[in-house]
Amino acid sequence: MGQRVRGISRLSCTWRIAATVLGIGLLLNGSLRMSDDAWPFGPLSQYAFSPSGDSTIVITRVEGLLADGRRIDLPLRVETAGISRAEIEARIPQITADPSLLRSVADGWTTRHVAEPVLLRVWLVQDQTLLIDGRVGRTRLVELASWELPS
Amino acid sequence: MRTLGSVVSWFMPVVPESRVAVLRTVLYLFVIIDIHLFVRDPIPLSRHPELHQPLMIESLLRLPPPSVPVTITLYLILIVGCLVAAANVLPRLAGGVVAAAFTWWAAIGMSYGKVDHDHLALVVALWVLPTVGVIADRWRSVDRSAQAGWALKCIQISVIFTYSLSALTKIRSGGWSITSWPGSSILLWAIVRRPHGLGQFLLPYPELLQLMQWFSFTAELTAVVVLWLRGRALLAAAVFWMGFHVFTLAILYIHFAPTAICWLAFAPLERLAPWLRRVKARRRERASRRSARHPVPVLRDHAVDGGG
Repeated sequence: MGQRVRGISRLSCTWRIAATVLGIGLLLNGSLRMSDDAWPFGPLSQYAFSPSGDSTIVITRVEGLLADGRRIDLPLRVETAGISRAEIEARIPQITADPSLLRSVADGWTTRHVAEPVLLRVWLVQDQTLLIDGRVGRTRLVELASWELPS
Repeated sequence: MRTLGSVVSWFMPVVPESRVAVLRTVLYLFVIIDIHLFVRDPIPLSRHPELHQPLMIESLLRLPPPSVPVTITLYLILIVGCLVAAANVLPRLAGGVVAAAFTWWAAIGMSYGKVDHDHLALVVALWVLPTVGVIADRWRSVDRSAQAGWALKCIQISVIFTYSLSALTKIRSGGWSITSWPGSSILLWAIVRRPHGLGQFLLPYPELLQLMQWFSFTAELTAVVVLWLRGRALLAAAVFWMGFHVFTLAILYIHFAPTAICWLAFAPLERLAPWLRRVKARRRERASRRSARHPVPVLRDHAVDGGG
């Protein structure tokens, strides 16, 4: 079985090398100087920070009060609320300034749970776990914002 | 001049084009899985324009803000484009459309505050695979080219850079210190935040978690060596990194599937078609031997109803 080798022009060769150098340059620049905003050429910053042994670990959640009086967790996942935890966490300052932004979670949850009683109120809360000398300590619940749904 | 020549041939080795044809099929089908399992939120997210914060790429290209019609159109384009490109039909056109549409789709998914870093190699792959153009005989091609070699080299570099650059970012975020990240409580932090995996059983052992941080940090920092490995050493490195991903999946429930699949750019995929042919031939041979040993009953043994 014979094998042919396809030729390559000088121009073809040159633009490929130039593109490679440019791509590697952009990636290095992203990792050395830029922020996540520069995706896909930003830094690979997932889990790339260094929490100390006495830091506080937060888990952000949204809780909702149903018309039947139950206060339940509205899991922040695409399948259950149409939005994930990380997206809500990234907007905490905006949400505390304007709690009506919790509408995204309330609407997302409601459209996916039509059989449940209506939502009356939602809270943005955090489970804050304290680390003590690098070991897991106490966890406390902190309320960051709440929003009453328009009736 | 000789050095320049050897640098150019390192970036553009002459390799079998069937390798690219097989990789195209795998990766374009993977994109269909990806938009359903991994970057699966652009359509629901596009219902919340108030939470959208465009990435630099969206602003530079003046892309319209995400909306339901935009994301549904992208979804449909990706499904059709991936099926065509996976068949190695219209590779430049279909591949180019998929590259642009998937980059936009992923950018939308990452412009609501959370940016993932497991898609670097896949995005690069989608942009370079079309450049190889038409591959005669597709998966059965016997041609070789530097065009194919360059595309594969770009994917290999981006797979390895996913590790090396993340080590660099860890050094940068720790104030340019080598020891701050591996000596931190990051794994403990990650396990507390994602208590679904096996990692919760490791929570009482923070020293063991730090040892694991040193191990993974060293592996990431030295990953660039893989680009110069061959044969069994390369296979060993690939097995190591697959093991690493299985481990992080078990401990933290974090997968790096889009990076892991791109490791196929290192594999001798040109052996797949001949191997399949051999398997088929062997199966046919066995079937014909079996039928020779057990003759099929002849027709006249059956009663023929001639009555009327």
